Amino acid sequence: MYNIKNVSKDFGTVRALRDVSFTLEKGKILGLVGDNGAGKSTLLKILSGGLQPTGGEIYLGGEKTRFKNTADAMKKGIAIAYQFLELVEIAKVWENFFMGRELTKKIGPLVFLDIEKMKRLTEEAVTRHGQSVDVEQEIKDISGEQRQIIAVTRAIESNPKILLLDESFTLLSLEGRKEIVQFLRKVNNTSGINMVIVSHDLDLIKDLSHYIMVLRGGEKMFFGRTDEISIDEIVNYMLP
Amino acid sequence: MKSSRHLLRAVWAKLMEHYTWLLFIVIYLITGIFIPTLFTSVTLLNVVVQGTTVCLLSLGMAFVMIIGEIDLSIVAVAAFAPLAGIFSWEAGFPVPVSILFTLLVGVGVGLFNGLMITKFGVPSLVQTVSMWWILAGLVLIITRGVAKTGLPATWMLLGRVFVGPVPLLVFFFLAVVICALIFARRTVTGKRLYLVGGNSEACSAMGIPVNTVKIIAFMISGLFAALSGYVLSARMGFISARFAVEWLMPAIAAPVIAGVSLTGGRGNLFNVIAGAYLVQLIVIIVRAGGVSGYFTEFVQGLLVFIAVMVDTGKRRVSGR
Repeated sequence: MYNIKNVSKDFGTVRALRDVSFTLEKGKILGLVGDNGAGKSTLLKILSGGLQPTGGEIYLGGEKTRFKNTADAMKKGIAIAYQFLELVEIAKVWENFFMGRELTKKIGPLVFLDIEKMKRLTEEAVTRHGQSVDVEQEIKDISGEQRQIIAVTRAIESNPKILLLDESFTLLSLEGRKEIVQFLRKVNNTSGINMVIVSHDLDLIKDLSHYIMVLRGGEKMFFGRTDEISIDEIVNYMLP
Repeated sequence: MKSSRHLLRAVWAKLMEHYTWLLFIVIYLITGIFIPTLFTSVTLLNVVVQGTTVCLLSLGMAFVMIIGEIDLSIVAVAAFAPLAGIFSWEAGFPVPVSILFTLLVGVGVGLFNGLMITKFGVPSLVQTVSMWWILAGLVLIITRGVAKTGLPATWMLLGRVFVGPVPLLVFFFLAVVICALIFARRTVTGKRLYLVGGNSEACSAMGIPVNTVKIIAFMISGLFAALSGYVLSARMGFISARFAVEWLMPAIAAPVIAGVSLTGGRGNLFNVIAGAYLVQLIVIIVRAGGVSGYFTEFVQGLLVFIAVMVDTGKRRVSGR
């Protein structure tokens, strides 16, 4: 269970979010849509600990939770893959996969990188989700789908409770989009983690998510099951 | 048939990866035809020994370039740090302690540079140029422009003790180089230098303390500058205000020739050694080639320029 209750955010006199609530059962995917300035990014930042809400509460597995900052949120089980995927283009796949949490081995009193192990585990993690990648390749030499797969696989390595995905699908071809939808669905099925996906790509949101929330001007216009709403209706809710 | 082609391609790839070494060896051999003394073991040893200064400076510079910054203060540190070390000896400390103090001064200058650059956002070019002037100025004030002589014999052990025909200095130098290579390739901090140089935003999002990594890079360049200054003083037997100044441009050129990216994230330190020796070789060629002293710097600059252009062209072709 993952739910938020009456979350609001004020920036001075500007009300960016007003009493937004939702409840997701375990393993469900929420698609978050809205026009620019609708409050999607603000909500996502609150969910990932980057911003403190002015009011309202966040519950993780029924327990009331507060995030001091992004690092604190990560510790409490929130993972996020950002719009630009936070990958180092001119570094290899395995280097990216383990950046910030490098594996080491001791030789005498000295600590060295366990390069072979990192390569192996990267390959295993990607294979586990039914994908394949050459871990020796640099990020700039692999496709947009593969980058996406690396970023998401890396994000869920720490067994998070919630995965937040921020507009990370903009660089994909139609084929690639299909592949990513399948990949994320598989990840969702096998790991049973909640996902919150922010995207302008309504088709993708409709394909992938179990629930949809439409925001407009910081207010919740719609929240319900994906099969209860058509794309035209979503667009109607989004527009003023 | 297929495997031999595969092997050939692998060999070719390795050669291209280390083309700086290839370039160095080819130029050495060609020049040797015109200056046969280059092939004698005495000259070869001299090339190695004389190259240690610029090589150590270049390695330090390469570490800073890998994070996408630059450190111009190194040539002043190379004079200031050993001078400070010698004063600590004159104040009564034993030589090993004063050598250690020399290195600590280098690391300290690097720490200060790093703090100013990361915490206050001073561009590294501005910060390190000002540091260069300040330290070079201090050395002038202290020495009054007169070379500091009378260094203790133990200080100069590295340059004066020989194992067979090879000075101790060479072994010390090799040990330092091997440590630097292992550090860059096999340690967490070494790996993070490259990642931070490649995309510092991604690094901080993934929890890497970017500022700390950057400060460490400047501390390393300070350490290598102090090391190169110490090695030079141990070899020459004096410290002067104009000490390593002539090696600033070569120390920048060597990593660039070796393919270290000025924007950060890339750089093979093993190749930097070849780059440094290539620059050193150019100096030797200019001198031995009988070019008038007035032309030396011009020809040096020209050759470095050509080497850099060749490198740029090569990388453009291979699409890197």
